[in-house]
Amino acid sequence: MRPGAWRTVAGQELRDLWLGGRGLLLLLAFSVLVSVITYLGATSEGINFLEKRETVNLTLQVAVIFGALLALLVAADAISGERERGTLESLLLTPVPRRHLASGKLFAALSLWFAALIVAVPYIWFLGRDVGAVDDALVAGLLVGTLVAISLTAFGLIVSVLASSNRVSLSVSLFVLLALFAPTLLPGGAKQGWAGELFQRVNPMTAAEHYMRNVVIRQFDWTKELSWLVSPIVASVVLAIVAILVVPRFISLRGGSPG
Amino acid sequence: MDRDVTLEVRGLKKAYGAVVAVEELSFTARAGEVVGLLGPNGAGKTTAIRVLTTIFAPTAGSFAVAGVPHTRPAEIRQRVGVLPESAGYPEQQTGAEYLRYHARLFGHSHASAHSTATALLDQVGLAERQGSRIGAYSRGMRQRLGIARALVNDPQVLFFDEPTLGLDPAGQRQVLRLVEGIARERGATVVLSTHFLGEVEDACARVLILNRGRVVAEGTVAEVTQRAAAPRRGRFRVPAELRDRALATLAAVPGLGDAQPLDGRPDWVAVSLEDARQIPAAQVKVSEAVRALADADIPLLAFELEGARLSDAFLAMTDEGSV
Repeated sequence: MRPGAWRTVAGQELRDLWLGGRGLLLLLAFSVLVSVITYLGATSEGINFLEKRETVNLTLQVAVIFGALLALLVAADAISGERERGTLESLLLTPVPRRHLASGKLFAALSLWFAALIVAVPYIWFLGRDVGAVDDALVAGLLVGTLVAISLTAFGLIVSVLASSNRVSLSVSLFVLLALFAPTLLPGGAKQGWAGELFQRVNPMTAAEHYMRNVVIRQFDWTKELSWLVSPIVASVVLAIVAILVVPRFISLRGGSPG
Repeated sequence: MDRDVTLEVRGLKKAYGAVVAVEELSFTARAGEVVGLLGPNGAGKTTAIRVLTTIFAPTAGSFAVAGVPHTRPAEIRQRVGVLPESAGYPEQQTGAEYLRYHARLFGHSHASAHSTATALLDQVGLAERQGSRIGAYSRGMRQRLGIARALVNDPQVLFFDEPTLGLDPAGQRQVLRLVEGIARERGATVVLSTHFLGEVEDACARVLILNRGRVVAEGTVAEVTQRAAAPRRGRFRVPAELRDRALATLAAVPGLGDAQPLDGRPDWVAVSLEDARQIPAAQVKVSEAVRALADADIPLLAFELEGARLSDAFLAMTDEGSV
């Protein structure tokens, strides 16, 4: 088997996702959401410099969360969906190593995040051009969003391999995303003290949100607060390794059993 | 090992926890041979195929495909082609795109995948629909596409699991002709799992009957039939106005069971062959009956032998017969 079989899988997955229309549909929903956020931010009169940066940050957060969510949804369907549609068996009958199947599908799912980021660029430019926040927002968004997207996509793929059904896979993936995201909505007081900071740093979503806030609103240099990216980096590396090297051996016609 | 032997199975067992799906499965198959795999629902046919195609690992026993032992599954996958039972297809892909993708997964270059897909679509009669989305294909077209997919790696052994399920008679015939052609023209071994016993009688050189995961009969169709299903009754069609004479003539043949008219069919008479436990004995009795009718100048318009078909053997050897 050619070592680049994963590229063949990724190529077909990308065609199915984008030419098949599913990716475009998800991206359309995403752009509607970002448009609404941008419109609300742009039509608010009399907001000061800091509040404008808040608006840019809010739009960036929405782009990261929902861009990663789209990638998560596609990844969570990657194996369990094939299993339910009866198309997994023909893939397993090929000599392609299962880790190549997983890698190709992971790569294709991640493309949704990058597409979402590209869609978000003009909105961020429009909101941030007057306050010089565009570069900061795009660098922070690319860095943080990619780490979050890799973590969530890998997690979705892992769940998809192990879940007994597609419904379970999608439900578990969404539940975990919400559980990780919910603490970012807590009031500032809940994040005070060493326990609060530890809690923020350990959760990749709150750590990522904190980093973006510092770069976009407080105008810290993007290299200054890198310690806040430890948990997003660890999560993305560990989950990607598990998704590509460990879990593929469990890809089988029956969810969760070794192949 | 005999060079012609492409599939060698020894004491294969597959269990899911305490449930044994296949046990003590042993057989060999040769190049160009079509082997029928028969059995009622739950007999273990699909599990056996999934083990032999490396989808499931065996619990015990061994098998080899074209000399490659089951411990090297990736190499076996290069040598087998499979049409799985109830296979799904990506609706948004075209037939050509689907085949090209699978050819690429088997290591074909772009150009080779393209030419292979074109040739196979032509072979299965889908050349004109190669640009259509699979979602628009009929069930018969999907089955033919599945057969084409099973051929992308030019396999030495092919497994077809219920290839004609859900097809109309014309579609069944079309698929069956394809299967026979593949074995004949490519010299590949074909393992054909089916519920349609007529297909097996038509297409298969040998049959294996599975019941509750075990092989209960193996051999040619004639051997299996002879072993399990002795004829029970011979039925003769004669001109209706000569039926009573035919009854009297057959009744006078020594050793033949009672001759009876058939209810509602005024031109048929039946003779019991229950005493003839073996097919040769039954054949002698039938010959005597035919000769007696000819000697009496009674034209024989048709003849049927009940209880001497593969379906009778199937029912006698499996749980289906006890339902």
